[in-house]
Formats: sequence, structure tokens, C-alpha cells
Amino acid sequence: MVKEEKMIKITDLEKFYRTEEVETVALNRLSLEVKKGEFVAIMGPSGCGKSTLLNIIGMLDDPDGGSYVFNGTEIAHYSERKRADLRKHNIGFVFQSFNLIDELTVFENVELPLIYTGVAAADRVKRVEEVLDKMQIMHRRNHYPQQLSGGQQQRVAIARAVVNKPKLILADEPTGNLDSSNGNEVMELLTDLNEQGTTIVMVTHSEHDARYSHRIIRLLDGHTVVENIMI
Amino acid sequence: MEVSVLKNFLKVAWRNLYKNKSFSVIHILGLTIGITVCMMIFLYITNEFSVDSFHQKGKNIYRVMRGYDATKARVAYLSGPYAPALLNDYPKEVKRAVRVMPTQGLVTLGTNSFNEKHVYAVDPDFFELFSFPLIKGNMASVLKDPNSVVLTETTAKKYFGNTDAIGKVLEMDKSLQLKVTGIVKDVPANSHLSFDMVMPITNYTTEEWFKNWRNNNEFVYVELNENINKAQLEKQFPQFMDKYMGKELEKMHAHFDLALTPLKDVYFQEASTFDSVKHGDKKVVYIFLSIAVLILVIACINFMNLATLRAVERSKEVGLRKVLGAMRNSLIGQFIGESVLLTLISCAFAIGLLLLVMPWYNSLLGYSLTVSWNTPAIYLFLIGVIVFVGILAGSYPAFFLSSFSPIQALKGKLQLGKSGAFFRQALVVVQFSISVFLIISTIVIKKQMSFVKSKDLGYSKEQTVIVPIDNNDIYTNRLTFKNELLANSNVEAVSLMSGEPGGFYDRHSFDVEGQHNTYNARTEFADFEYVKTLGLKILAGRDFSPTFATDTTNAVLINETAARQLGFTPAQAVDKWIINNMRDSLRRRIIGVVKDYNFLSLKENMDALIISPAEDRRVAVIKMKPGNVTAGLNIIKQAYAKAAPAYPMEYTFLDQKFDTTYKADLRQQTILSVFSGLAIFIACLGLFGLASFTAAKRTKEIGVRKVLGSSVQNILMLLSGDMLKPVLIATVIAIPLGYYSADKWLQNFAYRTPVQWWVFMLAALITFGIALFTVSFQSVKAALANPVKSLRNE
Repeated sequence: MVKEEKMIKITDLEKFYRTEEVETVALNRLSLEVKKGEFVAIMGPSGCGKSTLLNIIGMLDDPDGGSYVFNGTEIAHYSERKRADLRKHNIGFVFQSFNLIDELTVFENVELPLIYTGVAAADRVKRVEEVLDKMQIMHRRNHYPQQLSGGQQQRVAIARAVVNKPKLILADEPTGNLDSSNGNEVMELLTDLNEQGTTIVMVTHSEHDARYSHRIIRLLDGHTVVENIMI
Repeated sequence: MEVSVLKNFLKVAWRNLYKNKSFSVIHILGLTIGITVCMMIFLYITNEFSVDSFHQKGKNIYRVMRGYDATKARVAYLSGPYAPALLNDYPKEVKRAVRVMPTQGLVTLGTNSFNEKHVYAVDPDFFELFSFPLIKGNMASVLKDPNSVVLTETTAKKYFGNTDAIGKVLEMDKSLQLKVTGIVKDVPANSHLSFDMVMPITNYTTEEWFKNWRNNNEFVYVELNENINKAQLEKQFPQFMDKYMGKELEKMHAHFDLALTPLKDVYFQEASTFDSVKHGDKKVVYIFLSIAVLILVIACINFMNLATLRAVERSKEVGLRKVLGAMRNSLIGQFIGESVLLTLISCAFAIGLLLLVMPWYNSLLGYSLTVSWNTPAIYLFLIGVIVFVGILAGSYPAFFLSSFSPIQALKGKLQLGKSGAFFRQALVVVQFSISVFLIISTIVIKKQMSFVKSKDLGYSKEQTVIVPIDNNDIYTNRLTFKNELLANSNVEAVSLMSGEPGGFYDRHSFDVEGQHNTYNARTEFADFEYVKTLGLKILAGRDFSPTFATDTTNAVLINETAARQLGFTPAQAVDKWIINNMRDSLRRRIIGVVKDYNFLSLKENMDALIISPAEDRRVAVIKMKPGNVTAGLNIIKQAYAKAAPAYPMEYTFLDQKFDTTYKADLRQQTILSVFSGLAIFIACLGLFGLASFTAAKRTKEIGVRKVLGSSVQNILMLLSGDMLKPVLIATVIAIPLGYYSADKWLQNFAYRTPVQWWVFMLAALITFGIALFTVSFQSVKAALANPVKSLRNE
């Protein structure tokens, strides 16, 4: 049997939030693994540390303890600069509230990650058009986010997340602001991407959405409770 | 930074500007006004400091100054023989000595006559010494012939239109034929010498009065040879004075000394009142400079505050850029870049605005400043402004925003922390301190000016016309003129004198009975109607009177101050003898003492004055009976036309003398009011932005409060109160600063208006009123809004 490659290997991860009076444990010696090509859903009640976990996986935040090996590299103590560099080449983000920049058109929003990774202009146009075509919003390329429906906006956001061909997509409640038909469409898109080889980690409240994944990780009070294998 | 990143920033910056129109307007308007004011002041200051810098031989040119009293500023007027004597005695040191005699005259061409006021009679090498470029004519020979004249371009146009003036003849004072031999470029604003025509002084050098060492009526400029030490030459001057004037000075109990002022220092030299060249005041330059800086600071603070607040709304963008891999430096670059872009736009507007207000500014200054677009100075200045303002104003929001973690930023949870809020409030305090300070300054200047204007000067100045006796005809016929006027029932009194109040009062030295030392005092030479015409009060003794045959040669009046300085009461002073050393050796009796009146500007202390009927008539002061001013003036004009038919009559009103005496102060007052108005306007723009932001941020709070039963008034108080706190603090800070500088400025005046508490109260009220008005716009809107709407928005 071929040894399965790991995209993410987290061991004894800890994260605290401190105020002047109390220390809250957000992640409590949490360990998990995500294999390359996997589609994992993370579920749990509010405040269980889902978002904290996703932020650390996405290298937006650093852990207070434990180890985080991304694609074979230990990055728990990377500097902000190194994390940013690793992030922009490897990870795409999809947010509940889309987070498109209002002042930029659809095309320009999707183009943004390519600018930060230094892709040449001609190449950028090609790649943005390709991905807009795939997401079926090519006809909206010159519109501004406010001119689109929620479903369309999320498609743009997904386009932006995948335009750099990331190895990993992190989705934080991607359907949270959408009605069910638009939501399903977004989930189909993510499934397609996963089938084409992209690893996906998704935080969700919706059992329905979670069913699209291979595996559900349930968190409670900052550590893993159950893992349901879906397939 | 990579080009495409930069392009992306520019795009977002531009669309942001466009999307938030009102914020952009506040930003750009504030900065535009700020930069325009700075450019105006920049032009003013560069002009002030460039005065006389265009003379190529400038570093070797000196103006010869004569001191007569160690406690007084030296005067520039010398007599005719100085220049040749200097050339003769110091051939190694003095390369050139040029006399410049300011004069005036009636210039006639055919049937047209103009009274030319800015005529210089000069030595022939004037144009070789000074770099006033000739358009036509040869620098070295243009004034060789006594019957030649050089006109400025404008003067030539005035007489000859577009035809060539060279070779044409003008008549000076109906006697002297002057052939135009050269045309000189108009004298620039940055020259202390200023003229419309230049003629050779050789027309006068043979006159007796000209050859007299004591007849001081011209300036002397010397060019020293290279490597000559000015101080060493000055050391030899006492010997020089002794050689030529020793005996005379001894007789006059006077002491003259000579000094050299480098050409570049002439303009800012503190001059005696009677120096007819243009002078500048460094104090005014510094006041202007401070205003420019203060206004720019206010505009920058607006910028910082509003950009920070606006940036919070853009936290999503910041967060996202970070998620996508933007580094902190790149974000700092973005925000500073945006502020530089805004500054750039404002600069463009400012240039337009500047061109628009230049005519007004020039008339305010009283001379023409031109923007020299072809010199690098203005561009360097603009680049400096863009870099300085752009970076200063952009740096705070840039560092503030880029420091947030992407998670916080994305959640829109950018909290403007307590310290940040404190910092912004502090900035508002600074803005309003400056505004209150400027308002206090404006009020004090206005108050002092109206104090000066309304002060009882001790003489009657109403219905009084001053006609200068400034040409031969009117001088010769002055008594006919006077009698003609007196014959008219509308004329109350006429007096011919050497100087009207606020005018010329030469300082002479006297010997007085019972005094061991020579006594220095101001002099007035006037006829017997002096006291009557000016409505002076006699404290002791009597007025001049034709019934005493000896009064003309034997009598003087002195003022109260003179009596006191001499150690007499007014009554004691009467009948003491006094000799004017500088004029004659006649023993005159003091026949009366007049009550002190302000014959000098109120900037000067009351001085001693000796009024004697000796000859020196420079003006006719005509007191009309109350009634029709135009009719009165017509009477004077008719009399003048009989006495001096060739000359147009010029006149001023004594009560308008104020405006000319305090011209510089009045200008400062106007400019300061305009600028402080602008300062508070810009500050209020910022406050308006801040208020609208606060109101918007607190919509939910206001909604909840209203649902819980708060009244509109309560909410108004709440919102406005918070906004006005920094204004209150600013007022408290500005008041002592304002008091200090007002007090300093008032030291310029010997007679000062008191700075009372209400000045500060008024400044505070004005500021508060305007600030409240600004803030309530937004507060009222927020307070009146339907709470259901604002809550639903959440």
C-alpha cells in the first residue's frame, strides 16, 4: 500500500485567550491529521474552538503550544512573514461573509491573490478568466460585489480562493449566508474542487453540508470528541 | 513595491475617494485651503527674502547711513558732498559712490501733465552699480548728458503708448528738457529702490543748496573694491566727519557718525520713519510663517483623524489583503500612498485656487507678487508639501491599521482603542487651540486698531484737508493761496507748516535757559494759525499772535512733554529762552505751552515738540467749517488752480491719515482675520467629519437609548457634549498663549488697548458657537432618526 501523504498534522495544539482577569482555553492539546485530497468538515457548538483551529491551520494565527506540520514542514513557530509567504502560495480561503473588496470588480477581486504572488499581468488575465468561466460568472466580470446575489458573491469568493491553485482550501461556514439552493450549489463546487485533488477543510454548523465531506471532526471545549468517517 | 500591486492600490484608493464623496471633499477641501495658504505665504516670504538679491554687484554694495543720536536708528539721508568726498578720500576702498535723490516733479508732454512722484535723480553710473536691466540704451552712457532721462517700461507706455520713446523729449517742472535715452524694465517688487523715471543728478550739483554739507536729501550707495573690509573702512569715518563737518557739528553741538549697511540688509533694517525706500519687517515674516505652519498642521490633523476613522471601515479590505499574503510594509505603503495621492490632488486644486486669489492677495499686500513657474523653487516647495503632508498625515492611519491581525480585521472588530481615541482627541485639541489662538489674535489686533482710531489724539482732525506744498508754484504763491482760502466763509482756518500730525517732524538740538546739556526735541515750523487750525489747547502763556511784532523771530511754543523734560511746570517754562542750534543762533522766548497731542504715530511715545514760526512750509492744513465736503474741496481746488495752475492738486483728509500711518498693521489685521477664519473653517471641516463618524458609529446606541425612553434633547446633549469636550480643553490651552502673544504684539504700540477678559470669552464663544453648529448638524440628524430603523440595521 502507498503511504498516504499528510497535508496537515497537528499534535497537542494549544491556544489560550487572555484578558486581564481570565484565561480562556480555546484549543486544549488538540491533535488531528488531514490527508492530501481529503475533504474534512469541522463541527461543534459555538465557542468550541472551530474558528481558532481554522485560523491556525490557515496560518492567520499562531498556536501557544504543540506542533503544526504543514505539508511536511513544522511551522508552529514561523514568523508572520514566513507564514504569509507560505499561506499565499498554498492556501485559499472561503468565508461565510464572502469578504469581497467592495471597491474592486469581480475580475479584480479574483485577480488580487495573483498580484500578491507576483504572477505576470498577461498570465493573470488568462487564469482569472479561466476560473471565472469555471464558476460560471464570466458574464459578471466587470460588476462590483454589491451588484451580485449572495450565491454569485460566494462563487466569486471561491474563484478567488482557487485562482492560485492552492493545495488547501479553508472554508468557514461557506453557506452560512446563503439560501439552500445557492448553498447546495456552493457545496457542489467545493466537492468538484476536491475531486480534482484540492484538500478542503470546512467549518460548518450544518449537518447537511457536512455530509458532503469525507470525515467530520467534532470539537467540544477545544479538543476532538468524535470523528465520523463518511465514506 | 511591485507595479501591479501599486496599480491595485491606486485603483482602490481612487474608487474609495469616489465612493465616499463627502469624506473626500472634507479631505481635499481642507488640504487644498491649507496648501493654498501655504503657497501664498511661501510666495510672500520668498519675495521678502529675495529683496535686492538680483543685483549682480550686490555683495560689494553698501548704503551709507548717518547716525546723529546713539539711541536712535541711523538715517539714510546725506547731503550732496558726501559721495565725491568718499571717492576722493578712500580711492583704494571705494570703487564707486552713487547718489540717489528721491524727488518728484510735474512732467509734461504736449498738453499732458503728470505729477510724477517716483523720480530718482542719480549719478550717471547708477545703472552700472545696480542691476536694473535696460531694454534700450547703453548702461554706461545713458545718463551722461544732464538732459537725459530713463523711463521704466510702464512710464514710457504712459507717455508714448506703443511708439518708440527713445529720443523724445519730456519737460520736467516746466523748465528742464529731458530727452529719453533709455528704457528700463519695470522695477520688480523685490527691490528696496523703486522708481518710475531716473534722471541725472548733475542737474542739481551746481546749486548752492546741493553743495551744503548739512542739506541732507539723498541716499549714497558705495561699491567697495573686492576684499575690502567694511569694518576697517568704517573705523576711518570719524576722521572723515571731523575733516569735513567738524566745525559745523561743534557749532550745532551735534555728533554725526557714518556706517555702512550691506545691500542685502537694507530692506530689513529698522529704519527711521523718514526713509522713503521700501522696508520689510522680519516680525511680520515670522508671523506669516507661523500662520502657514499652523494652518497646515490643522489640515494634516483633519487628514489623520478622518483617514483613521475611514480606515476602520476598510478593515475588511485590510484583513483580506493580509490573508492573501500582503505584508505589513506593503499595507503601510498603500495607506501612505493614498494620502500622498490625496495631497497631490489637493496640490493641483491649490494651484488653481492660488491663481484665482492672486489678484485679491496682491491688492491686500499692496504690491504684485508673481508666481515664477519657471523656477524650481515653487516645485521644490510643492514636492516638499506633498512628501511632508502625505507622509505625516498618512503615517498614523497606516501604522494604526496595518498593525491589526487579519482575523480581527476580517471580523470588522478593529477597535479604536482608548489610547487611539485619546490621541485623536488630543489632535482635535491641538486644532482648536490653534483656532482659538488665531481668533484671539485677530480680536486683539482689531481692538487695538479701533482703539488707535478712536483715541482722542488731542487735536481736531475733522473736516481738515491737507494739501502738500510740493512744487515751486504753490510754494511761491503759498500766501496767496492761504489768503484766498481765508477769504471764503466756508473755511475756518488755514495753517502752513512743516508737518501735519503723523507727518514729518525733524529732530533738532537746542540750547535752553538753565540747561547745561544740549536738548534734543522734535520740531514743527508753522505760521501763527497752527494752534487754531489743529484745535490745540494752551496750558500756560499764549498763542502766537500778529499783535506781537516780535513773535516771528522771537517766539516759540513748546509742548507739555518738553516742559516736563526740561524740568519746568508749564507756567515756569514760559519766558525761558531757547536756541535752535541747527538753524540759527537766535534766542527765542517760550511764549506758551500747549497740551500734549499725538503728533507722532501711536506706536511712538509722546515726544517733546518745539513749535516755531521759522521758515519751512511743506503742507497746508485747511480746516473747513462743518458742511458739504465736496463744496469745501471745490473751494480749495479753485484756490489751488489760481496759485499753481499747471499742477493737479493732491490732497488727503487729516482723519484718514490713520489709514496710511497704520497701513502695515491694517494689512496684517486683514490677512490675519482671513487666515484665522480659514483655520477655524478647516478645523470645523474635521470636526464635522468626526461628528458624522461618531453619529454613524453610535446609531445603535442612540436607537437603544431612544427605545428606552431618552428624549431627543438628551441625545443631542450626549453627542454634542462629547464632541465639544476637546474644544473646551483647547480654549483653556489657547487663552494663556493668546494672552502672551497679544501682550507681545501690543508692545509695538506706545498706546495700548487693555486686553480684557471678554476678549478671551468672545474668542471662546465664537469657537464654541461654530463648533456646536458643526456638530449639531450630525447630532440632530442622529437624534431624530427612527430608532426602529437603526436597530434593524444591526
